Amino acid sequence: MPYEHIKEVKEQARITPIETFPDPKTAIVILNQHSGKPLSPLVAVDDIVAIGQKIADSKERISSPVHSPISGKVVKIGNIYNHCLETFTDAIFIENDGKKTKANALSPISEAELQKTKPVDLLNIIHEAGIIGLGGAGFPTHIKLAPPAEFPIKNLVVNATEGEPYDTADERLLVEKTANLLRGVNVIKRILGNPKVTIATKVSKVEAIPKLQEVFGNEPDTTVVAGHFKYQQGDASVLQKALFGYETPPTKRSYEMGCIVQNVATINAIANAVFDGEPLISRVVAFNGEIAQPKNLLVKIGTPISDIFAQNNIDMNDVRQVVVGGVMMGHAIPTTEAPITKRSSSIIPFSESNYKKEQKQTACIHCSKCISACPVKLHPILIYNAIMKPDMETAEKLWNKDCIGCGTCSYVCPSRIPLASAIMASR
Amino acid sequence: MTNNSSVEKPKDLVVSSPPQITGTMSKTRVMTYTFVALLIITIITAIMWWPVMAPPVDALYISEEAMSSLLASCLVMPLGAVLLLNALIAVGVAVLSDFLIGKAAADSEVNTMSAAVFGLIVALCYSIGVPSMASGIEMMPIEALCAPLCFIFVALTSFIGLVVFKKLQGMKGRKLVNPAATAKLLVLLPFLSSIFLVKEHWSSSYELGGLGMPQLAGVVDRVGDMSFGTYIRGCYSIPGKDLGSFESLMILGKYHGWPGGASSIAVIIVGVALIFLLRNYFKWKITATYFGSVAVMSLIMTGIYGGDPMTRLLFELFIGSSIFLGFFMATDPATTPYTRNGQIIFGIGLGILTVIIQTYMNFFGGALLALVIMNLTVPLLDRIGIHKPFGR
Repeated sequence: MPYEHIKEVKEQARITPIETFPDPKTAIVILNQHSGKPLSPLVAVDDIVAIGQKIADSKERISSPVHSPISGKVVKIGNIYNHCLETFTDAIFIENDGKKTKANALSPISEAELQKTKPVDLLNIIHEAGIIGLGGAGFPTHIKLAPPAEFPIKNLVVNATEGEPYDTADERLLVEKTANLLRGVNVIKRILGNPKVTIATKVSKVEAIPKLQEVFGNEPDTTVVAGHFKYQQGDASVLQKALFGYETPPTKRSYEMGCIVQNVATINAIANAVFDGEPLISRVVAFNGEIAQPKNLLVKIGTPISDIFAQNNIDMNDVRQVVVGGVMMGHAIPTTEAPITKRSSSIIPFSESNYKKEQKQTACIHCSKCISACPVKLHPILIYNAIMKPDMETAEKLWNKDCIGCGTCSYVCPSRIPLASAIMASR
Repeated sequence: MTNNSSVEKPKDLVVSSPPQITGTMSKTRVMTYTFVALLIITIITAIMWWPVMAPPVDALYISEEAMSSLLASCLVMPLGAVLLLNALIAVGVAVLSDFLIGKAAADSEVNTMSAAVFGLIVALCYSIGVPSMASGIEMMPIEALCAPLCFIFVALTSFIGLVVFKKLQGMKGRKLVNPAATAKLLVLLPFLSSIFLVKEHWSSSYELGGLGMPQLAGVVDRVGDMSFGTYIRGCYSIPGKDLGSFESLMILGKYHGWPGGASSIAVIIVGVALIFLLRNYFKWKITATYFGSVAVMSLIMTGIYGGDPMTRLLFELFIGSSIFLGFFMATDPATTPYTRNGQIIFGIGLGILTVIIQTYMNFFGGALLALVIMNLTVPLLDRIGIHKPFGR
């Protein structure tokens, strides 16, 4: 099936090396950045915290702790806009003391010890490091990498497709941290019992492909696939179809098909945690969009997004919209006071001066383009009509819950009907 | 010191739901591409038909008496000019009505390009020109096919089609029937037995006391003066000139009938180009299955009635109504199925019905009626056409 082409705006960003962004004066660490059970703070106002110190956790299985990205004093526990949940949630505000004191929260291992270390201990490091799916889903990685024993994992897919049209953070990691990614892949292979490894990337990532082939080319049971993948094939199940030919039923998880798909940034974080003892307190964020100089920034989690604008001398009066986490699936945030979270793969400002008046939503012309464009073969307009009636029974019969939220239907709609967001909201 | 507050207070950011970007294709763009395609066809036909005078003052078979009455009620002008005026009138009436309705009813969406496309389709599916073999001229009210009467009918079709079948029908949610096709059938209903079901088409066999014109429900070939092929050549050639060859008339250019389908090859080239431009914004599956099933049906009919398969095939595929409707009317998004399977069934059904209507009702241009009938099945086709999603 042909997938809709979505124009990429990456020429500049994809060739710009990762730059370390200065530590914030105040870090705002949101408690609930993962998808799962909420966390409780482990610190109180006026407590002194060190870099990497665990500051919030939960006893629930499906949860992932957060750590202090800087050293300093807890000044406030209060509300801040959380783009992951699109609402205001609790966060710990930490004032930087500039001392850079480090806490050794994790017990890293050396690469030589990897094959002797038990998978459960590796999973424990990943859990303690607060690693979640950094591609956007935010599912705790230590849960994902521990599928039930009756489902042996035959395939590990490194999802290096990064189809979001403005995102380049993963692409820079592929180029600059290739060796570290191999270390991360080796950890996952150890945990899952040596599955075959497929690294799926796009032909457009010209700088990354030779690096991947150089580093992974001689690894056993490892293939580097540089395909003409479209944006929609960045979805785990759609990607598996492209690689292995099968369609995962929506009622099943990937592991039931013997496959686990991991995102590049997550694998990088795993390597950092397991071998360097570094919990997930920073990530690479693509700063791309309608700005003069797109960048890839290694930013501490908790850095206010406004800091990034200020440091890049961007006139906020000309910023019309700020999108976090990709223009197709990410959200436009109401305030730049919101901090970077583990799931902020990109910050994409759109300017007032380049703004062209949008077309208003008009009546459907029944072109049925959304139906032919849907990568999971749904009938977006029919589901939308049912939701609007509202007739949720029909919407469910049309499998509205199978929507992967890729946004392609809204993107192609000539009448600008917000199909994707309505269907996602109805799930 | 002075203007500090405005600097510190950031202005509100615009929040919208994902995706934050949209594709380049818009409703107006889809309609503009379609309009340009139709305009190209209009111009090609107008140029082709310019040397032809209508009504034909030098027609071979018209009696002096008939000619004088014809000249009294019709304007003699190039057929190409009649088409251009028809197009201008139909588009003008449609766009103006659309605009006025938009002014009058606040909730009505003014959609100029869509109205213009509709107007052009009305002009392109309105038969004009006099068949060169129209010997029994009193049998046909050919005034309706000539200026100035055709201007009135085209204006009326455009007006009724837009107001009743586009606007009123659209108010109750989904449009059921094709506006241009239904309006044409309605406006020309008084001429049912003369324009749609031309007497020569149905009372033609010797056995029925007709003029001996061959029928589709019989042997169709090109051999001899009284064959179907010769009859069709007489129908579509330039009046007063030598009859063209059957193939060149059907494929390159006909000089009577639907202006939209005058040159089959032009319609195919423009239509295929439009499909490549619009891709899945154009319901090409209907076009493909329609022509496919028309072809299969004509072979089946040849199997039943005998004759030359090529003659029947060329006629059924390339008659003006068939070729134009297959590309530009059967694919009208509003009145055709959403679902892929629905579109395929729709196209096949349309093809089968077209051939049956043309064969057994002797309604040349039966695709128009077949289209309206198939339109009525769309809600059902959309229900049964639902396909299973990914992995289910």
